Amino acid sequence: MKARVPAERYTGASVRRVEDERLLTGRGSFVADAQLPGMLHAAFCRSPLPHARILAVNTEAARLAPGVVAVFDGAQMAQMASPVADPGDSPRSGGPVSFGILAVDKARLVGDPVALVVAQSRALAEDACELIQVEYQELAPVVTVEQALDPSLPVIFEELGGNRLFGPETKVFGDVDGAFARADRVVRASIRQHRHQNVPMEGRAILANFDAGSGQLLVRAATQGVNTTRQTLAEQLRMPLDRVRVVAEDVGGSFGLKFGASREEVACCAASRELGRPVRWIEDRWENLTVSGQAREESFEVEAAVTSAGRILALKVEMVIDSGAYPGFAPLVVDIVREMIPGPYRLEALSFTGSGVVTNKASYVAYRGPWAAETFVRERMIDLVAQELGISAPEVRLRNLAVRDEPPLRMVTGPSLAGITARESLLRAVEILDLTGFREEQLRLREEGRYLGIGFATYIEPAPGPRQEGGEENTEQVRVELDQDGSLLVHTAQMPHGQGHRTTLAQVAADEFGVRLEQVQVMVGDTQRTPTGFGTGGSRFAAMAGGAALHGARRLRGKVLEAAAQILDLAPAELDISGGELVGPGVPGGRLPLAELIGRIDLAARSGQLPPGTDADLTATADFDGGESGWSGGTHCCVVEVDAATGLVRILRYLVVEDCGDMINPAVVDGQIRGGVAQGVGAVLLERSAYDPEGQYLSATLMDYLLPTALDVPHIEIEHLSPVRLDPDVNFRGVGEGGMIAAPPTICNAIADALSPFGPRVLEQHLPPTRILELIGALPD
Amino acid sequence: MPEREVQPQASLTIRLQVNGEEREGAVEGRTTLADFLRDQLGLTGTHLGCEHGVCGACTVLLDSQPARSCLVLAASADGSRVETVEGLAENGQLSRLQQAMWDSHSFQCGFCTPGFLIQAAALLAENPSPTEAEVRHALSGNLCRCTGYESIVRGVMAAAGGPEPAGAEPR
Ligand code: FES
Ligand code: FES
Repeated sequence: MKARVPAERYTGASVRRVEDERLLTGRGSFVADAQLPGMLHAAFCRSPLPHARILAVNTEAARLAPGVVAVFDGAQMAQMASPVADPGDSPRSGGPVSFGILAVDKARLVGDPVALVVAQSRALAEDACELIQVEYQELAPVVTVEQALDPSLPVIFEELGGNRLFGPETKVFGDVDGAFARADRVVRASIRQHRHQNVPMEGRAILANFDAGSGQLLVRAATQGVNTTRQTLAEQLRMPLDRVRVVAEDVGGSFGLKFGASREEVACCAASRELGRPVRWIEDRWENLTVSGQAREESFEVEAAVTSAGRILALKVEMVIDSGAYPGFAPLVVDIVREMIPGPYRLEALSFTGSGVVTNKASYVAYRGPWAAETFVRERMIDLVAQELGISAPEVRLRNLAVRDEPPLRMVTGPSLAGITARESLLRAVEILDLTGFREEQLRLREEGRYLGIGFATYIEPAPGPRQEGGEENTEQVRVELDQDGSLLVHTAQMPHGQGHRTTLAQVAADEFGVRLEQVQVMVGDTQRTPTGFGTGGSRFAAMAGGAALHGARRLRGKVLEAAAQILDLAPAELDISGGELVGPGVPGGRLPLAELIGRIDLAARSGQLPPGTDADLTATADFDGGESGWSGGTHCCVVEVDAATGLVRILRYLVVEDCGDMINPAVVDGQIRGGVAQGVGAVLLERSAYDPEGQYLSATLMDYLLPTALDVPHIEIEHLSPVRLDPDVNFRGVGEGGMIAAPPTICNAIADALSPFGPRVLEQHLPPTRILELIGALPD
Repeated sequence: MPEREVQPQASLTIRLQVNGEEREGAVEGRTTLADFLRDQLGLTGTHLGCEHGVCGACTVLLDSQPARSCLVLAASADGSRVETVEGLAENGQLSRLQQAMWDSHSFQCGFCTPGFLIQAAALLAENPSPTEAEVRHALSGNLCRCTGYESIVRGVMAAAGGPEPAGAEPR
């Protein structure tokens, strides 16, 4: 069936979000807003030490404290919920480790939960936490990668036999030795990213309600995907999947943090089951900053084989990731960094060695564009190469970027680069910024002691990425259903937490089916009716869920027209659905509201008036893998001024030239881009998850962990390129992560350019004023 | 285990006017205004993002001045006038500010929203046609992790009916 093109399409328009009226009037529904009769409150007693044996936990006094209903220590919790276990046998495993939902014999980071108190109020639960006596035997903390590799320090997991979690493992693509032999020179650098973190404005949260009568656990969660949360809870609590129902409503941001169920969330569910009462836990900001998870601490040794003409032939990369205390996500990050590091460039060969360690710091979690180090390292490296060769940095990029009609249009690591517009984005950015004019201005101002710099970064983002030949089937499912009143229900496993999916998915479905936007309801967040799929993340929404909604709506529309044609004795081709009505010359009165049509189809089906074979079930399901849509990407460019006296950086201009395919809702797209760039601004200029040498966490309040404010984030200019459309129907692409992937290297490159008269090599991502003063020699390094 | 009911120690009765209505409640000395509004009055539109006075999500108007309700003890708000995000719309009609924020796609997850709305309402009450710099300055004590602020600033400018901020792109 052919796609329909209604006169006025919602898709492509910045329609107002359906979510907003509630949120703007204070009627949102976050987990902390939910109350249940008999609800109890949880608080955790946490380790003040980064590394210690737990010799004894005395909860006696806490149990007797006012308002306390129960206290569970690690040993008791181990009876109530399975430990988190990684058998270490999958290719992405972090090694054979297992650890309790609450710490049992050992605390492995500051904030490790040692006991859970459940009481009549949060305040009373916290009071009782103070009364728990834990006897610790301090162990030397393992705070850095160097310490993790030092065999004289204690091991964090005995079963690992050391603090190396995985690797080093080397993979080679192409003829690395040949490329290095042909190179005119080798440029070397040690580049690192610092630890920083998600910090959604709403922390983790859960309301667990076990009903002893039915044996069902009903959970209100703050999650990026209810199915994943349910799966984790069922496994940890050893419950059949069908006894666990997870529901989510509003979620106050996440950026990768809220996947599955954390140890604390499992503990609350276990407590609810034990007590037969609802238990709610709302993470406070100290907990969020200290233990919810952190990301990005990765270091790289890079060698680039380059020609004098500025071609980068090959890279040798060694990556070490600091996984923090509890293994989980880090091995996957290394895999993706390896695959993505060639980016949109014609690299001929790559040798990549990856390894990971455990340390006594917060566990590594996904944070917006989790593999972003590949872009940071590559784009910083390109500028270092340009500096050494005396060629302008955008020029080096141009000489290496893949050209769309020149084979092989493929990364040396495998994925196809079909449809990318990276080159176009760079050329356009250079044009908009007037690079020649800027260089003149820059020189002139330097005479006055003012240091301006310009930086570029070009990236691609799998959104969802090209189909992998022979890869696993990876689809998103959408179920579309007509309600009796004629409204279209669109069920998705996507779980919006700021992205506006309730609006954007409705736009796609409304256009394809032929109803008004108000007639579509996007249904999310209830495992009882949510289709399969892991949730929002990995830029899966636009192409995959958007495409599934389009195909689902198309299929259902076909069914409805077929059935309508039978009832009215017309040919389906004579009928159309438009504005929520069945229309066509043969339709009595010219139009029939959908609600009425549904009633008639239903009646006809029940009274056997439809010919056999007519499908009167007004539901359609579609699975979609994103089609040919592939990559989002673009070029960011930033102009900064560095004050050499104070080390302060001012962003004078920030430009994004990008391609995320056909936009469903441009205002939503721009919001995703700007939000991502803002996090990049924070990462470079402000944010750092800092530990002291003893492993104490130093950034545990928002006065220490600085988020960018309205004064720090500049106006962000955005230009959208017109995409290469490779799919017959679905050319939307995800756009959630690119801002945060490209902004850090862009800003760092601009600062490095501004500092070039002082001559430092900028090899790190965190450049607060003190560091800048060190780099220019005003402060001792 | 037997559960002992806890009577709040030294409970105080407070009376205040919230969104134009007289309200009364018993609070403990340590109960914050935010917790009183959320837990006792059910006004959960006011959010808690940090509970240490930094994020601004809990901002309410206390006798017409923006205040961080996580740092105000409920007892000390006795006798005050409090306005929360729930009081911005009148008779089901969005205020001009709310409408402009909606039109401008100002927010994403909506968690920071109450604080920004109240802070912006206070700004506009004092300065009906602020410059973009004044708006950014007035909002600089409120944190939003989703938007990068531009859409929020644009929404406030639109509500003020002033010129579009420098960066505004016509759609
Ligand atoms: S909750 Fe009050 S300022 Fe953050
Ligand atoms: S919209 Fe999510 S924190 Fe502001």
